[in-house]
Amino acid sequence: MKTWRAWAVVIAFLAMAGVPWYGSDVLVQFGINALLLAVLAQGWNIIGGYTGYPSFGNSVFYGLGSYGVAIAMVQWHLPFEVGMLFGVLLAVAFALLLGVPVLRLRGHYFAIATLALAGVMAAIVSNIPLAGQNIGLVLPPLNDDRLFYGLALGLLALSTLVVWWLTKSRFGFGLIAIRENEDGAAVMGVNTTAYKVAAFTISGALSSMAGGIHAYWITFLDPESAFDISLNVKMIIMAVFGGAGTVFGPIIGAFSLSAVSEWLSSEVTSIASLFFGAVIVAAVVFMPHGLTHLAARIRRLGWRYFGENVRENRL
Amino acid sequence: MNTTAAPLLELRHVTQRFSGLVAVADVSFSLAPGEILGLIGPNGAGKTTLINLISGTLRPTEGEVLFDGAAVTPLPAFRRARLGVGRTFQIMQPFPGLSVLDNVAIGALFGHGGGQAQLAKAREQARQSLEFVGLGSFADQRADELGGPGRKRLELAKALAMKPRLLLCDEVMAGLNHVEIEEVIAVIRKVREQGIGVLVIEHVIKAIRSLSDRLLVLHHGQKIADGTPDAVLADPTVVQAYLGKKHA
Amino acid sequence: MELLAQVLVNGLLLGGLYAVMALGLALVWGVLNIVNLAHGSFIMLGAYCSWHLFHYLHVDPFLGLPLTAAVMFALGYAVQRGILNLIVRAPMFNTLLLTFGLDVVLTYLAQLAFSADFRTINPGYAGHQWHWGAMVLPAVRVAAFGAALVLTLGMWLFLLHTRLGRAIRATAQNLVAARLYGVEPRHLYAMTFAIGVALAGTAGGLYGTVSQINPYIGASLTLKSFAIAIIGGLDNPLGVLVGGLFLGVIESLTILYIGPTFVDVASFGILALVLIVRPTGLLGKTA
Repeated sequence: MKTWRAWAVVIAFLAMAGVPWYGSDVLVQFGINALLLAVLAQGWNIIGGYTGYPSFGNSVFYGLGSYGVAIAMVQWHLPFEVGMLFGVLLAVAFALLLGVPVLRLRGHYFAIATLALAGVMAAIVSNIPLAGQNIGLVLPPLNDDRLFYGLALGLLALSTLVVWWLTKSRFGFGLIAIRENEDGAAVMGVNTTAYKVAAFTISGALSSMAGGIHAYWITFLDPESAFDISLNVKMIIMAVFGGAGTVFGPIIGAFSLSAVSEWLSSEVTSIASLFFGAVIVAAVVFMPHGLTHLAARIRRLGWRYFGENVRENRL
Repeated sequence: MNTTAAPLLELRHVTQRFSGLVAVADVSFSLAPGEILGLIGPNGAGKTTLINLISGTLRPTEGEVLFDGAAVTPLPAFRRARLGVGRTFQIMQPFPGLSVLDNVAIGALFGHGGGQAQLAKAREQARQSLEFVGLGSFADQRADELGGPGRKRLELAKALAMKPRLLLCDEVMAGLNHVEIEEVIAVIRKVREQGIGVLVIEHVIKAIRSLSDRLLVLHHGQKIADGTPDAVLADPTVVQAYLGKKHA
Repeated sequence: MELLAQVLVNGLLLGGLYAVMALGLALVWGVLNIVNLAHGSFIMLGAYCSWHLFHYLHVDPFLGLPLTAAVMFALGYAVQRGILNLIVRAPMFNTLLLTFGLDVVLTYLAQLAFSADFRTINPGYAGHQWHWGAMVLPAVRVAAFGAALVLTLGMWLFLLHTRLGRAIRATAQNLVAARLYGVEPRHLYAMTFAIGVALAGTAGGLYGTVSQINPYIGASLTLKSFAIAIIGGLDNPLGVLVGGLFLGVIESLTILYIGPTFVDVASFGILALVLIVRPTGLLGKTA
């Protein structure tokens, strides 16, 4: 990484780390939400951006993590850390058991299958008494936004380090090879099945931790909010808008889109999801390669960049 | 050529059926280390299918594939790659978003014996591969920016970076001019000098005649000839099936 | 035994309706290679359209179906011509993502316009029931089933025997071939999608007579439509009918033997299972 970029990252990290001290309560809460979404976006980035398997159901891991923490703390009276571990175990089990059959599917079949699985899990959980069925669970309250902010920031740092490691490791190169040309990767010696499942599992583990932190922070969850399908919409557009398959793209996407959404929500209530939907539509049409690609080309092409994208893809 | 050494590759009665169509019918042959075996035949004869059966992309309906005397028939493609089977693709399959160097580095990272664990070492090895095929100066270009001949060499470099013991070349000379063909022949000869066994599918008869130690002819999935190039190319069955009246 | 028969009949009646829902999705997917994740939202909008026609203009929900169909047709044409045509040649993922976003937009626009309250379409004859032996056949459900059969058959005939229908089928094979039928591709694509959305909207209108509607019913209906389309095959309206009946019966049996809260588990589970076991579908071709 070039030196100025490294410095930019360090400064940005320090700035973010300092928010609980110099920021208002509202900013801290915005921060927690944005940080957790960024983690989800990075998680998606691993399986969708780097491995080329666009999961439309990563919300399932978020939900499993949330319920892991909730069940552990509420039903078994275990501490938060154990709950987090339980959540990760649930996510890993899911990824390993269902990842193998589902990752045999390619492209849109894989996408639909993950969507279906997310739906199934949500429906199953709403029938489990231990999980509070449809009513949900209420967690013991902990009023310490600073702590949650720190946890979320730490998790994002961990996720980003994992993604950065992908760009420098044999494992990551294997994933990229799978994305670019899966059959070609196989004949060159990449164990595509094992690698795909591993990527899915890592993605799931990180996403589940985000869910766990969120559950404890919000102190309440039910199947609908924990397995919220619109999370998939958000995490994918954040990763794609910022730049899928890059290290910092998802973070940039998450923060920029969260900020605009927050601002819009203050002007017009409950418009957040509508906003994300509209952004997706516009982004897919005009800048399908994300912000990083846009930033690289716009100097040369100016407004024509957008027209180019459309011309390439229209009927 | 050392004919008493164990064959590097052996096919025994390999048959491939695709719901009603027999692509490869009862083919048996062997290849020794350091031998260049040419494979020719009309389009649709089953040559690429045969390569797919050897590399593990396909599993044969019947028969066995042996590598170094051990049966590899049940093994998936990536395991055969780890044992030392490398191949090029007729329809070139680069990793488009990656640089030429990184394309080849994948081969170094995952090839024979599981490849390199360190990215840096793999890239070094990739550079050597690129130099070997003459693409050294293109290392940092994007793979999808290479022209046709360049891509052919990239295919070779990728397979060679795997440090294979057996190299399967699927029409690496197609679409090349005389000079480029000579260059590819030179590369394949250098490969053979390292003791690697090479199976070459080609349509360019002149090239394959001068390059091969032995020639195999496939027609409608069956092996119809197996011998020295001169003998095979003079064989009337071969002439009738493939070469027609004007053979080189 | 009688209970089982009743449950099966319920399932079949529902299944016919499900089949119509999936018909539009299968058409658009098979012909245009557009995997429309917003499909359920169009069903939902069709339902609201019928509801408004019924509530404000007192149009009978069944007689008013052509109106709903026309409105949804126009909407579908506009969406394809204005938005989807712009990304037709992009990778499939872009289409998935765009229709995903569209789904969100439509759902929330509906929420803003219609509020989240549950509604139903209750024509005067809503409570009327027919009896066949020991079985109870609610008139509305039978009518919906009948309409569904008519639509499915109509779709099948349309694709096989009309010039436009054959042009659409040709497009599925080859865009150039479609040009030979004298239809401009952009218009053809827009027509096809419009027909798909019209079917979805009509299904929504029928759905509104047998079930409650709110802005959020789309997501679940999209997944069910996927299940049916994949089971039935993308080029075969009769296959889709079979798939729909199958899902309807499965759901009914689930309600009887396991419990009503497990219906989604069953239908989404079937989708996941079919994809994993045989994504090439059971009856027809796939994209």
